[in-house]
Amino acid sequence: MPAAPLQDIVIVGGGTAGWMTALGLATVVGDRYRIRLVESDEIGIVGVGEATIPLIQRFNRIVGIAENDFLRETGGTFKLGIEFVNWGRMGDRYMHGFGRIGQDVWTVGFEQYWHRMRTLGRARPLGDYAITQQAARANRFMPARPEPANSPLADIAYAYHFDAGRYARYLRRLAEARGVRRTEGRITRATQAPSGDVDAVVLESGELIAGELFIDCSGFRALLIEQTLQTGFDDWSHWLPCDRALAVPCESAAVLTPYTRSTAHRAGWQWRIPLQHRIGNGHVYCSSHVSDDEAAATLLAHLDGKPLADPRPLRFKAGVRRKAWNRNVVAIGLSGGFLEPLESTSIHLIQQAIQLLIDFFPDRGFSAADIDEFNRQNRFHWERIRDFIVLHYHVNQREDSAFWRDCAAMSVPDSLREKMDLYKAHGRVFRFNGELFTETAWLQVMAGQNLMPESFHPFAALQPEDKVHDYLEAVHRAVENSVALMPGHADYIARHCAAPVQPQGHP
Amino acid sequence: MNDQQLIRNVVVVGGGTAGWMTAAALSKILKGKVSITVVESEEIGTVGVGEATIPMIQRFNQVLEIDEDEFMRETQATFKLAIEFVNWGKLGDRYMHGFGRIGQALGTVPFEHYWRKLYMAGKAGELADYSITRAAAAKGRFMRPVTDAGNSPLAEIAYAFHFDAALYARYLRKYSEGRGVTRVEGRIVDAKLSGLSGRVESVVLADGRSVPGDLFIDCSGFRGLLIEQVLHTGYEDWSHWLPCDRAIAVPCENAPQLLPYTRSTAHAAGWQWRIPLQHRIGNGHVFSSRFMDEAEAQRILLANLDGKPLAEPRTLKFVTGMRKKAWNRNVVSIGLASGFMEPLESTSIHMVQTAVARLIEFFPSAGFDQADIDEYNKQSRFEFERIRDFLILHYHANQRDDSEFWRYCREMPIPDTLTAKIELYQRNGRIVREGAELFAEVGWLQVMHGQNLRAQGYHPLADLIDEAETNDYLQSVREVIARCVDVMPTHEEYIAKHCRSA
Repeated sequence: MPAAPLQDIVIVGGGTAGWMTALGLATVVGDRYRIRLVESDEIGIVGVGEATIPLIQRFNRIVGIAENDFLRETGGTFKLGIEFVNWGRMGDRYMHGFGRIGQDVWTVGFEQYWHRMRTLGRARPLGDYAITQQAARANRFMPARPEPANSPLADIAYAYHFDAGRYARYLRRLAEARGVRRTEGRITRATQAPSGDVDAVVLESGELIAGELFIDCSGFRALLIEQTLQTGFDDWSHWLPCDRALAVPCESAAVLTPYTRSTAHRAGWQWRIPLQHRIGNGHVYCSSHVSDDEAAATLLAHLDGKPLADPRPLRFKAGVRRKAWNRNVVAIGLSGGFLEPLESTSIHLIQQAIQLLIDFFPDRGFSAADIDEFNRQNRFHWERIRDFIVLHYHVNQREDSAFWRDCAAMSVPDSLREKMDLYKAHGRVFRFNGELFTETAWLQVMAGQNLMPESFHPFAALQPEDKVHDYLEAVHRAVENSVALMPGHADYIARHCAAPVQPQGHP
Repeated sequence: MNDQQLIRNVVVVGGGTAGWMTAAALSKILKGKVSITVVESEEIGTVGVGEATIPMIQRFNQVLEIDEDEFMRETQATFKLAIEFVNWGKLGDRYMHGFGRIGQALGTVPFEHYWRKLYMAGKAGELADYSITRAAAAKGRFMRPVTDAGNSPLAEIAYAFHFDAALYARYLRKYSEGRGVTRVEGRIVDAKLSGLSGRVESVVLADGRSVPGDLFIDCSGFRGLLIEQVLHTGYEDWSHWLPCDRAIAVPCENAPQLLPYTRSTAHAAGWQWRIPLQHRIGNGHVFSSRFMDEAEAQRILLANLDGKPLAEPRTLKFVTGMRKKAWNRNVVSIGLASGFMEPLESTSIHMVQTAVARLIEFFPSAGFDQADIDEYNKQSRFEFERIRDFLILHYHANQRDDSEFWRYCREMPIPDTLTAKIELYQRNGRIVREGAELFAEVGWLQVMHGQNLRAQGYHPLADLIDEAETNDYLQSVREVIARCVDVMPTHEEYIAKHCRSA
């Protein structure tokens, strides 16, 4: 017989992770389950991950969020990719644009023809064939449209930048309307049943909130998953040595760029996330290579406008909770692990965990086989994203600091090593089992950081050279013509989703 | 020759199903830019197992731009909607593994969880009632899917073929030769290796001729002429998990009804295939010589035919397992040379097809990069191992007590990957398909359920839809499928109209 269904779900913590989980679960299971969220207004939220990747559109669709409404409410802007500055070498600049590049016409993929023409000195930079990269450079934006057929306009993949604080408030409103009960209060401890399962959390007020399934969205504190259950943490800081960040908002610049920028510094990098009402900035750095004061000075020296607040420090360690799901506690968000927001994956990892929780939703039996499979799949996603981020650090030719020299010399995970070896031979990239980043994403970063294959797929040589050249040029022209049809990013926002003006200085 | 130059000569060693499928696909893609030679000897027979296929073969036909009706006429082919398994779980049991999906999406969780919830309460029919291919197969009916049928099950009739493997090889030979492939008749007696790289430089024929090449595809069957006899690549033996090591094959006369499915009947120490073609039925008894002698196996085979035997029974010996590396140096083994798994789920031809697709994806240049070869071998192994697990499931999940063989299979230790799959299923009926694993969730479900493996529960979120609504939905799926099957022609009628062989 099946075990009895559970009824009471308690979400601990109400930042981005907590409210995304609350809204996701309320939408999918809200009819039959009681969902409570406990948060304290006294505790700030980390609110990293103001930049996203295109899969967030799937989350929005499932929970019924309308794009324009959501962007108005969160001061959001559009994002077509990430620009990386100074990563391969000082002075380098490349983009990881969303979506695909080129079009497949013959036996092998577009990138193989690009490699061939590049070897012959007859190719443009990769970005010249990518609609999202070209549109980003031109500060233009519009969503994909299916007409005309075969046009690059159909390939405009995009995500968003938004204010994480406003996003959490927006999600809260929707979740409460769908029956999620919010309780204000600071949690002092959790109580456990004789089995070891968490059976309640206790608030400062003495109130006891009982539940059967607990979602730990308490951030770095990992209140239940670590403080109560002592699940353990796998430290990845030998691969990702940055351990601090300083975040500061500043005034907007003249041009509203439709992309995130990541600028490498001496021992880390700086993000730049343009919102409608301000720019979010942050310096992620390695504390053994640079002092907090120097990091702050570097951050402030690289702003586009006046800072709107004092830099706020964050400390972290890259790695993952040994089990995201332990007993009746599922850790989602920073309590589940931390990967710096270099590829804007924080919110995606929340979304991924919610989806997996729905796939492996428990009953009172809490089947070990189901939990093991959840953990296995969740870990797989984390590890593959980790590899992609490690790639950015490892493939560098900077000689200007010990930090970059160490990163270039470090030994990387085997799974990354294999990926790089395969690519180096003939430019092949193999995406395994739904791992997040596509072949095109890997290509853009590897090529963007000057890692080029020794050769290309032999079948790319089956077509006459001039014919391939003409084909590449045709793709480029189609991209250029398409970009010319797109409105400016600021114009598009003004027309569709401008946020009401709010007082400045409010992060 | 520069390391990055295009390979100029591809030599395919052996011209059975694997050899000619490889030659046909390469000739289609390379369009004469690379020379392709097939060396085969008429003295050596082809094994020609795997006359039954799975729906993915349609993709192969599409790549080759083969006209399906023509191909069927030329190979005496019939359609296949499913495999029927008889006596597998227990003596007297009968279930089908039908192609395509089962049921239709309803809510948050996959169909089978809604079905299981009601099934456990005694309120749902067997899986077969919700599968268009199983329902049609059971009634001997067939038609190709209707493209403009919207959500109707008629739009999703997944099918494959049964065909005469020798005729298929001949058909592909004609196709390949029409696209510039050179066929060399001759028996290979030796191979010459480069002293420097250790790669095969040429194969030497009995009459002294030598056929040079840059890339050799070993399609020589069990012998593994190049991959094993020359390169000593090594073989991983899986017979502790799949103990059958012999097959006796015999064709017989047709039965009155032309069934649109393969049948697999379990015997005391193995199983018997039944593959209906237009002009005959192919039969074979796969058995374990550890548990049954050959005379007995032959007697059982002949006692279970639908018509008069048309030839002397032919015995094949094999060791289930895989070549340690499918690709070694400049030799890529495809087909039986790369490994053997019994045709219980008709995977032999499919594995040739995926190997060819993989070879195209990882096609080497003259330098033969090890990273490419390693990735090819990794993917190849993954495919082999996951199919192996699925086959083992059939043997392991049995409740037969009538022979030592079945007791052994039930009690034998199984691979961890299979244990994990069974445990996950047994709790709440969840099935996870990983990466490019061949068999889909519904494939596993049909076999596990068909062999009486029961999950204790279902996805808790199946309860989000109340029982009455779930019941109505299941009922309507069942009715729609029954109505659809009623409008389908019989298998014979359909073949007569579209692809009857001369």
